[in-house]
Amino acid sequence: MSDGRSLREPAQRVSPRARTVWLIGALAQSLLVATAVVLAVWVWDWVDMPSWVVVLVGLGLAAYVAIVPQWRYLVHRWEVTDTAVYTQSGWWARERRIAPMSRIQTVDYAEGAVARLFGLASVTVTTASAAGALEISGLDKHRARELVDELTVKADAVEGDAT
Amino acid sequence: MTDTATQRELARDHDWQRLDPRMLLVHPVKELLRFLPVLIGIFLARTASGGAPWHLIGVAVPIGLGVLRYLTTSFRIAGGRVELRRGLLNKHVLSTPLDRVRTIDLTASPIHRLLGLTTVRIGTGTASTSQDDRLDLDGLPMDRARLLREELLRVTPTDEPTGDAPAGPRVVLGFDPAWIRFAPLTSSGLVIAAGVLGALSQLMNTIGGFDHLDPSGWSDSVSGIPVWAAVAGALVTLLVLVSGLAIGGYVVANWGFTLTNGGGAWHLRRGLLTTRETSLDDDRVAGVSLCEPIGLRIAGGGQVRAIVTGLDSKQQGSAVLVPPAPFRVCVAVAREVLGVTGPVDAPLVGHGTTARRRRYTRALLPSGALLVVVLLVVLLEDLGTWLLVPPLALLVAAGFVGADRAASLGHALVDRYVVSRSGSLHRRRDALSVDDVIGWNLRSTWFQRRAGLTSLVATTAGGTQSVRILDVPEHDAVALADDAVPGLVSQFTVQHSPAS
Repeated sequence: MSDGRSLREPAQRVSPRARTVWLIGALAQSLLVATAVVLAVWVWDWVDMPSWVVVLVGLGLAAYVAIVPQWRYLVHRWEVTDTAVYTQSGWWARERRIAPMSRIQTVDYAEGAVARLFGLASVTVTTASAAGALEISGLDKHRARELVDELTVKADAVEGDAT
Repeated sequence: MTDTATQRELARDHDWQRLDPRMLLVHPVKELLRFLPVLIGIFLARTASGGAPWHLIGVAVPIGLGVLRYLTTSFRIAGGRVELRRGLLNKHVLSTPLDRVRTIDLTASPIHRLLGLTTVRIGTGTASTSQDDRLDLDGLPMDRARLLREELLRVTPTDEPTGDAPAGPRVVLGFDPAWIRFAPLTSSGLVIAAGVLGALSQLMNTIGGFDHLDPSGWSDSVSGIPVWAAVAGALVTLLVLVSGLAIGGYVVANWGFTLTNGGGAWHLRRGLLTTRETSLDDDRVAGVSLCEPIGLRIAGGGQVRAIVTGLDSKQQGSAVLVPPAPFRVCVAVAREVLGVTGPVDAPLVGHGTTARRRRYTRALLPSGALLVVVLLVVLLEDLGTWLLVPPLALLVAAGFVGADRAASLGHALVDRYVVSRSGSLHRRRDALSVDDVIGWNLRSTWFQRRAGLTSLVATTAGGTQSVRILDVPEHDAVALADDAVPGLVSQFTVQHSPAS
């Protein structure tokens, strides 16, 4: 019954510098977990964990830091046409979101603390549904500005109250 | 009611005006109740010291506050806006355009009912949850409130009179006391019981009741009874108690439930003590959810909620179209509300073997893992094999749940409604009008991608904000999204090549 069509990936990649930002984020997360484990096992003696388990946790964290930012970079993509916005994000779970231009309510531009150091920004497009926000993170700052302008003009050109 | 009287009534709305003077009776009583703990404290202190009548100030303050609240609150409907002004020191003016009014709730607490008053809550679908941002006209006479409701809903531009409007509202559903039998089968009894237990334990804690409990005394007094009998007795008592609470909750909330249709809106009415009337604008009803929690399903029951644009899941209570009731009643109402039968009756398209297998694996894996762990512990620690019985039973139960989940999986696109069904312990069938789909999310984990499946989510501005079609083959998902909203998804598709 299916006519064999499937979704292609969105056309645009995010900035390559996004990998660095994600790497810093992953490092911070891993350090947090590692600190918690070290404190719980050796400093406060809360749990009696065999050392091989600790090594395993360490390896897992290292793999997370090494792989996930790269994986994200392969997945995160976006595309804007005259009638729709299409984003793809995630790594293990891949989320593709499509919103028609006529339903866009707000366009947000945000620079995170770390992202700002690398000249990156994120653009979030919201619709009237709480389940429908489309976030494009890791965009080059100037590209993001252009995108916001483009989206505002395009969303304004369509009629309706977007609900 | 003559037209001129109506006109006069509504013309008066243009000026700032106070609410009904009878609220002078309601507000002080409410304030007194709110200050009750303080008042009790003051009175106790007074009887202890026996001094001058200072304690009367404690009564005067709440009454004064109540009177002030009446005097400082006023509203008007002018220039296409509803405005509510209140506050003595912090002046607060709430104002909303009339065409943003989405729902109107009339709530009457027992005090209000005694005086023939009701509270008009004007719903605009705002995301704010602050009490201050609610547009409540607390205290209007009943007939005045009804007039106001008609007026407010009529000006909604989407609600032009279609010419052959039926005279008077048509009753779609009336309450049947026999439905009370479904109450103990819902989880509401447990929820109420937990609430009561929480409140009781807090009370006990405050008055130090726990210190007086002496568990050792209990074991003496029950020593004559065998343990199994004590446990069984306790269970039966608990069951009866929870069922009683569930029935009580059901009756208080749903007594006199009626659903009527008229004037381009659906009107819901319910409540034993506090009565609630909700009006849902026809065009805001984007779809319905037919819910069958396991308890209700076994007894052949279900319930129906409306997916209302601008009414989020926190306000779902006011979108219940059918309280727990026989399933045929639910189905009939769902058909009536949607105006078409397809979304309720049409057979659903299954999701294929892979999706069904995923239901089994996901149900069986956790309980299987538990069984292995218990088996290892039993073998290593040399414990009794009877320990294996609970995990085995759990595994069997999980198998049934998995089979049921596999059987309920299905979706369809009929009569311009996206229909999705899934779940076992809480099975539901959602129908969402394609006109209210405001975006698509396709989510797939690595496992799902390998199986060629994806979860298609149609986002909407009402209800739970989305309708999810679980684990549907990707080609079907794309085809469905494209058929439902033509021209949106197709620009991002490619013809699937057999190689990939």
